[in-house]
Amino acid sequence: MSYLEIEQSEFLTKFRLISFYLAVVFVLISLIGIFSNGINLGLDFTGGYLTEFTTQQSVTQGKMEALLASYLPESFKLTSAENGTYWSVQQADNSISFKGNTWLTGFSQLSGLTITPQDAIYIGSQVGEELINQGGLALLTSIIVILLYLSFRFEWRLATGSVVALFHDVVIVLGVFAWFDIPFDLTILASLLAIIGYSLNDSIIVGDKVRDLMKRNSEKDIDSIINSAIKATIVRTLITSGTTLATILSIWLFAGESLAGFSIALFCGVFVGTFSSIAISATVPQLMGLSADLYVKREQEVCQLP
Amino acid sequence: MMNSPTSPHVKNAKWQNIVIIFILLFMCISALPNLYSDKVKLHLVENNHTQINTVSPQDINALLAQHKFSVDEIKTSNISTEITLNNKTDQNAIERLLRQTYGNDYSIGSTIENSSPDWLKSLGGEPIKLGLDLSGGVLFVLNVDTEHALSDRLKSIALEIRTLAIEKRIRLSKVSQPDNHSIEINFSPGKLDEVKLLLANIKKSYPELIKTEQDNTQVILSYSTQEQAKFRQETMKQTLKTMRGRIEELGITEAVTQKQGKNNIRIELPGVHDPEEAKRIIGATASLDFYQLAENLRDAGVIHLRDDNGRKLVMNGQAVLSGSNIKNARAGQDEMGSPLVNLTLDSVGGKKMSSFSKKNIGKPMVTVFSEFYRNANDEVIKKSKVINVATIQQHLGSQFSITNMSSSKDAQELALLLRAGSLTAPVTIVKQRSIEATLGVDNIDNGIKALTIGITITLIFMALWYRTLGLIANIALALNLVSLLGLMSLLPGAVLTLPGIAGLVLTVGMAVDTNVLIFERIKEELKRGKRVISSIESGYKSAFSTILDANITTMITGIILYSIGYGPVKGFALILCLGILTSMFTGVFVSKALTNLAVRDNKAQILSIKVGDK
Repeated sequence: MSYLEIEQSEFLTKFRLISFYLAVVFVLISLIGIFSNGINLGLDFTGGYLTEFTTQQSVTQGKMEALLASYLPESFKLTSAENGTYWSVQQADNSISFKGNTWLTGFSQLSGLTITPQDAIYIGSQVGEELINQGGLALLTSIIVILLYLSFRFEWRLATGSVVALFHDVVIVLGVFAWFDIPFDLTILASLLAIIGYSLNDSIIVGDKVRDLMKRNSEKDIDSIINSAIKATIVRTLITSGTTLATILSIWLFAGESLAGFSIALFCGVFVGTFSSIAISATVPQLMGLSADLYVKREQEVCQLP
Repeated sequence: MMNSPTSPHVKNAKWQNIVIIFILLFMCISALPNLYSDKVKLHLVENNHTQINTVSPQDINALLAQHKFSVDEIKTSNISTEITLNNKTDQNAIERLLRQTYGNDYSIGSTIENSSPDWLKSLGGEPIKLGLDLSGGVLFVLNVDTEHALSDRLKSIALEIRTLAIEKRIRLSKVSQPDNHSIEINFSPGKLDEVKLLLANIKKSYPELIKTEQDNTQVILSYSTQEQAKFRQETMKQTLKTMRGRIEELGITEAVTQKQGKNNIRIELPGVHDPEEAKRIIGATASLDFYQLAENLRDAGVIHLRDDNGRKLVMNGQAVLSGSNIKNARAGQDEMGSPLVNLTLDSVGGKKMSSFSKKNIGKPMVTVFSEFYRNANDEVIKKSKVINVATIQQHLGSQFSITNMSSSKDAQELALLLRAGSLTAPVTIVKQRSIEATLGVDNIDNGIKALTIGITITLIFMALWYRTLGLIANIALALNLVSLLGLMSLLPGAVLTLPGIAGLVLTVGMAVDTNVLIFERIKEELKRGKRVISSIESGYKSAFSTILDANITTMITGIILYSIGYGPVKGFALILCLGILTSMFTGVFVSKALTNLAVRDNKAQILSIKVGDK
């Protein structure tokens, strides 16, 4: 190992450890956000007030959306039917939202549309209680099964590293949503699930390289093995994350308001996921006492010949 | 370099290539219908069938041209006229116009059809169904008659009181329901203590009832206002759950089911072209009950029904078993090929059936199918039909079957309804309306544009970074997208929604990843000084285990989400799982075949690393 490489390696170790503690701080900040601010659950989860009305003229959805946005104080969900003449507006059920269909008169005057009010009614959540329970159960089960699978394929400390990285990614994205008060709806739930898939993928590839190097050069210390594993996978990590981030970014920038929350969640998730695969998923096993000659020892145990 | 391939290896590769080409072709054909758009067709059918079709295409064309509508095609036959619309948004206006002009003599209907060529349709090709957010669907508002359910519940309690009284030999002069939340029990004076004992028994099974003693000849059992409200809420919750179950049984994964107001349920179904079919399943309040024939015709609460042959049947009022005890139901056939429904009961139902059938071997049991519907006066009416009267041949357990179904379609429908859970309250459809995409056309267009830009950036980057291999990766990526679209078009339950697009973005990322992993390995091997061919060989081989590990864990997440999740989560999980399969296939097998092809022509320059072939 040349002098330069040693210096690089030392730098990487320092970077990993500092980032790890930084990640702990970020997770704490996110947790504080989640528990103090709470997550702003969207209409999909809370239900709300549904106002239906018809317009005499046919209006495009985009135009109606803009008109309503300038009139209603809060976010809403708009559905159109009958070629843009029948409208349903769903709003959150709280003090500042307009309830019933009395606001329609004002809106009619402002927009200049001929509006006939239809039903105004309270509407329940799109998501049943059972989904929330089932969703939690699903997450827990999948984490346990993944932990078991990885422990079987790799080693329990590497598996724990991947799951800790996963936890870190999800908590930080939730934290972003809590601190910035972005409404959390079903679409964002789906992107959170995507992040889980992504984060695992990243961590496993680093873990796989660590295992590979441990088998090949057991005489090295664990620190330098992890460093060289990260160095070997960094190009791949950056290319994959970079291309995915480019796609997400273009959705964020060009696809408009309706996809903003979705792309924010994905962007944060992939970004944080890339970071965690470098700083956390391999550092955790090291802190938990993974030793470099593990696989050699194991082989010796298996091949005890008389 | 002397490349000396062993002949079995080459043969193997050839076979692999043929299989790969075959699969890719199949996927391309499945994905093809997505290129064609959906067209709305209006049908004019003459009400009076004795006359031949008299309206001419020229008339319609002139009428439409006068109102500045353009249509693609007008086809007339002896019985009907078919108009294919140019633009979906004109549908309502044209329909209104036609109704005004021809409404008296013609009935007007509409269908949505994919405009793909006939040969594609004959292969069974269908486009991907789009979710509510992308293409709209049908909205149903259902009214749940909780009052009826409450009065039904009281009726059965009253019946139980009467039966118990007869068993205990207590004479009650009258058991009646003055309103729909109480039961009035009248008895002769001096029997108060016996009646109290009887009611204590009833209270044990229905602790929510409140007992009021009027005097020593009358007791009233009633539901308090809170209990009534609680009962209504429970009924709504149960109905909502059953509805979600039914929609899932229909194979629609991305529906929206919400409680609306106090007594309504709002259901939005994506991509439903045949609302009648969906309506039948959703609105059906079918329940199945099993009764014993009454031994004493004057027993309390006996039910009189006629079977198909007009035979009069008198049954005990208390059902042996009801639909709520059914855990699973599957349509099948017996040895003679006639349709039947196989039932599996839950533990309570199994016990009931076991003890009942043991005592009654050789005696008949009646299967009754009941359904609620609304008559012309908007009153809810229960219609019951005897499906069959079967003699109990043996001691039955928790599994048995209902025979005598009229057709296998009936059997399947009954099985579906029983599986999804029966409704305790009658449900009627009060509103039906087609709804437009919730995201709006502009947003969808922008979304697609954005996705295209993102993927293009990825493609350009890969081509610049990996040169020849990058092009191969790009071809693999394109084939991956096509295969994924093809697979999704094939599966009837797959619906593409916004969350699904999240899955798609992730899939693209993973497909790129698969190739990057392989190429980085190959680079590594080349740097170690291996030859090109063997670097490629071992690059693919050693990267495969990494790819497998990474994808299997994601697959585990996907499968668990699919099996436990509901609605959008399910849809997302499906795309994720399919995406993993296609990206493994295209990323590993297809790109390897392509690499082998490319390397044969261009050994020296690969991965932008100059390699002097030794």
